[in-house]
Amino acid sequence: MSMRTFLTMTASAGALTAFVAAAPAWADGKLEELKEQGFARVAIANEPPFTAVAADGKVSGAAPDVAREVFKRLGVEDIVASISEYGAMIPGLQAGRHDVITAGLFMKPERCNAVAYSEPILCDAEAFALKKGNPLKLKSYKDIADNPDARIGAPGGGTEEKLALEAGVPRDRVIVVPDGQSGLKMLQFGRIDVYSLPVLSINDLVAKAKDPGVEVVAPVEGAPVYCDGAAFKKGEEALRDAFDVELAKLKQSGEFAKIIEPYGFSAAAAMSTTREKLCAAK
Amino acid sequence: MEWDWNFVWEIMPTLIEGLKITILATVFGAALAAVIGLVFAILRMTAPKPVAKATAFVVEFIRGTPLLVQLYFIFFVLPDIGIRLPAMLAGIIGLGLHYGTYAAEVYRAGIENVPRGQWEAAKATNLTGRQTWIHVILPQAIPPMIPALANYLIAMFKETPLLSAITVLELMNQAKSVANSSYRYIEPMTLVGIFFLIMSLISVVFLRWLEERYAQVEER
Repeated sequence: MSMRTFLTMTASAGALTAFVAAAPAWADGKLEELKEQGFARVAIANEPPFTAVAADGKVSGAAPDVAREVFKRLGVEDIVASISEYGAMIPGLQAGRHDVITAGLFMKPERCNAVAYSEPILCDAEAFALKKGNPLKLKSYKDIADNPDARIGAPGGGTEEKLALEAGVPRDRVIVVPDGQSGLKMLQFGRIDVYSLPVLSINDLVAKAKDPGVEVVAPVEGAPVYCDGAAFKKGEEALRDAFDVELAKLKQSGEFAKIIEPYGFSAAAAMSTTREKLCAAK
Repeated sequence: MEWDWNFVWEIMPTLIEGLKITILATVFGAALAAVIGLVFAILRMTAPKPVAKATAFVVEFIRGTPLLVQLYFIFFVLPDIGIRLPAMLAGIIGLGLHYGTYAAEVYRAGIENVPRGQWEAAKATNLTGRQTWIHVILPQAIPPMIPALANYLIAMFKETPLLSAITVLELMNQAKSVANSSYRYIEPMTLVGIFFLIMSLISVVFLRWLEERYAQVEER
């Protein structure tokens, strides 16, 4: 090894040590860090109207729009989004790949244990898209479990996949669908019998598809209304609390409704419930 | 994040289910690749010129495009023209077609490497075409092919996680779905790596043996 390589290596090792040593110090001032950085990294899913990425790469959708506004008020100029599968969002958050999840990741008790949620932001019931006339007469996740021929498509790691599995649909009849477009195609081609997403997402998808052969069952019987929140890493509750304060102000001033209602979400629904209730719900 | 052995034992059966599918896809994919490769090789070497040219183009086309794109095409685009394959079959066809083109080149190289003199000698001794192939050409052409083919088999085995993109519940997809509900990647992904490593190491030992057995055909 030449002296030069040796020096470079020592230097990089030194830099690495400094980097690792500095990390815990940042955790206390996560908000300060984001302010300095000028942006927060958010995880989204590209599932309109919750989250959407336009053809030019611009990030919109109700969840990122709310987060952008709240972060602006906290002094963080902008958000930078990365598209992720639902299932990869929480591990990604824990691994520090993004700072917050704003993707319509509905609050469920086991998720509340894994992340620190803000107060509720977007609420929606669950829906099915299926072939015209609902040939298998599917109205609930239980119906799918009871019909040995029915196959359900749902996003991997999404609420719908979990609901289907919880209702007793065996793993091999729960098909993990990568995105809305594929789900719709698989439904049209008969690869799956029902595609499940929240009501507004299904409506958006079916409206865009303009296929008279597809119909919507909404809401799914027996599945309650879920609400999402911005999800922060456990241990970063300080940032979450700061987010909550601004979010509450936004809700109070009516601007919250102005942001989410054009997307079809009900501001009243989000304001009528709390994180505590949703995380305790079974 | 620390390693949790209880969680490992808990997810093991699920992952083994996935491993079975992975192995199945590899075995069938390899069988299909062997047959498709042969068809391509024969067409390319013996068919009339336009057909041979067209085959060469198809082979280059398939070799030159990513397997993932081909899988998407087979699974999501073919149904538009009425060909609707189940996910697993689509995956096997994708693997078989892709690696078939590689196999075709191996076959071709193996056969073309048999010295021209052997063909002439066969003709001179009045052997029929069939006898020439079975008793002279193939016995000399096949042994050097085997290590190369086995190499592609291992490569194909390691590419099977791509099938998770078209909803086949193979090892990688099972691991992802485990991670989706547990929010832990460390154990499932490590196990996937270990499973693949074990299978590859076994194959490598087998490959070494094949190489030793067949590589020194010259000295025989």
